[in-house]
Amino acid sequence: MNLIDRYVREVGKHLPAKSREDIEKELKSTLEDMLEDRIEQSGRPRDEAMEIELLKEYGAPEKVAETYYPNQYLIGPRMFPMFKMILKIVGIVLSVMAIVGIMVGLGRVGFAGREFAQVLMQKVFDYAGAAITAFGNIVLVFAILERTISDSEIKGLKLNEEWDPAKLPDEEQPDTIKRGDLIAGVIFGFAGLVLLNFYPEIFGMPLNFNDDTNWYFIPVLSEAFFRFVPWINVVFLAQIGLDLYLIRQNAWSTVSRVAKILIEAAGLAITIMLLRIPNIIGFSPESFNNLPIQADDASRVMEILNYIFPFILVIVLIVQGIELAKAVYRFWKVNYKVK
Amino acid sequence: MENSNELVQNMTLELRRGVIVLSVLSQLSKEQYGYSLLKSLSDQGLEVDQGTLYPLLRRLESQGLVASDWRIEGEARPRRYYVISQQGREVLAQLKTEWSAIVKTTNKMLF
Repeated sequence: MNLIDRYVREVGKHLPAKSREDIEKELKSTLEDMLEDRIEQSGRPRDEAMEIELLKEYGAPEKVAETYYPNQYLIGPRMFPMFKMILKIVGIVLSVMAIVGIMVGLGRVGFAGREFAQVLMQKVFDYAGAAITAFGNIVLVFAILERTISDSEIKGLKLNEEWDPAKLPDEEQPDTIKRGDLIAGVIFGFAGLVLLNFYPEIFGMPLNFNDDTNWYFIPVLSEAFFRFVPWINVVFLAQIGLDLYLIRQNAWSTVSRVAKILIEAAGLAITIMLLRIPNIIGFSPESFNNLPIQADDASRVMEILNYIFPFILVIVLIVQGIELAKAVYRFWKVNYKVK
Repeated sequence: MENSNELVQNMTLELRRGVIVLSVLSQLSKEQYGYSLLKSLSDQGLEVDQGTLYPLLRRLESQGLVASDWRIEGEARPRRYYVISQQGREVLAQLKTEWSAIVKTTNKMLF
């Protein structure tokens, strides 16, 4: 194998597989043309020194391969403003959570002493970890969107785009989608999936007792709850799929409205089933056996949790009920309401 | 801070980048393979780097402005010949008009 072939093969290693063969063929043809030209001009026979000179001038294989790629970035300029906005929102939410969490944690141990320093360090590390995870997930979602949404579809996302007041719609457009909401939905849905499937231990309760410097973490949700995770996953994935479909379609349609109703109904059904499970809380008085806690205190904590969790589920149920009612109303309004 | 020479060099590159598409399309009314096009541009005073020309030709082809075809002539090696398409001709005509207007306006401001 001569130097030209070796060079072409090396360039090919850095090219996308789809166009590699074609580019390699053309590169070889060009290099041979250039070499032929040099032989003619110099009157020298072809030799390795001449090939080396030519290849050096042509450039390092990686550099040559690079020229065939369009601009490479994880999140391009078209998506960057939206990415920054979501990052800011998540950053604010996390910061508030972190401040509240740190204050609550420090409130238990006091604002001085060794425990104070330990709890403060622990909390700061916890929230730094959460911030890095959130940042990673947001970057991942935007990197996927960057590669799946075309330029024309992205137009609606341009935050600084010039707008014409005369083009404001003179009546409500029921099929218009809200891209910002949909993208936020995709990101939070994705984050929910990640937390539920990869960090289920996050659904728990940290406990600290007055006379103890240790923190105890008790998982709150039972096996009975986690049996529903595959169904919850299906609803999350369906919602993410619908959001991405709407971003692509740029408008609601009968099919997407029906899909929305079905997804909301499925979510509602899961919440109702969760509410009907008697042993949804994952711990019993025995869970406190190894903890420095009195039986009375344990039963009090149990009692609180047994009220709190159904209460949270009822709130979720109400929100889902409202969303379902809105979806059904919009479907009816567009398809059946007498205009 | 960049010195004036570097600045001029970079700005000249930017100016040239803007006219390469126009120049390449103008040279493809008769079909040419990559290296012959490179030489043709060079002979007329426009030095274009291979690393710029070949990716540009691929982009123009994907945009439908140029068509290409692999061919072996005689005992020579296979070569990819490029020629401007019908859409490319229409775009070139519009670009020429734009170019004339830009040159006229800029000259008016500069001289």
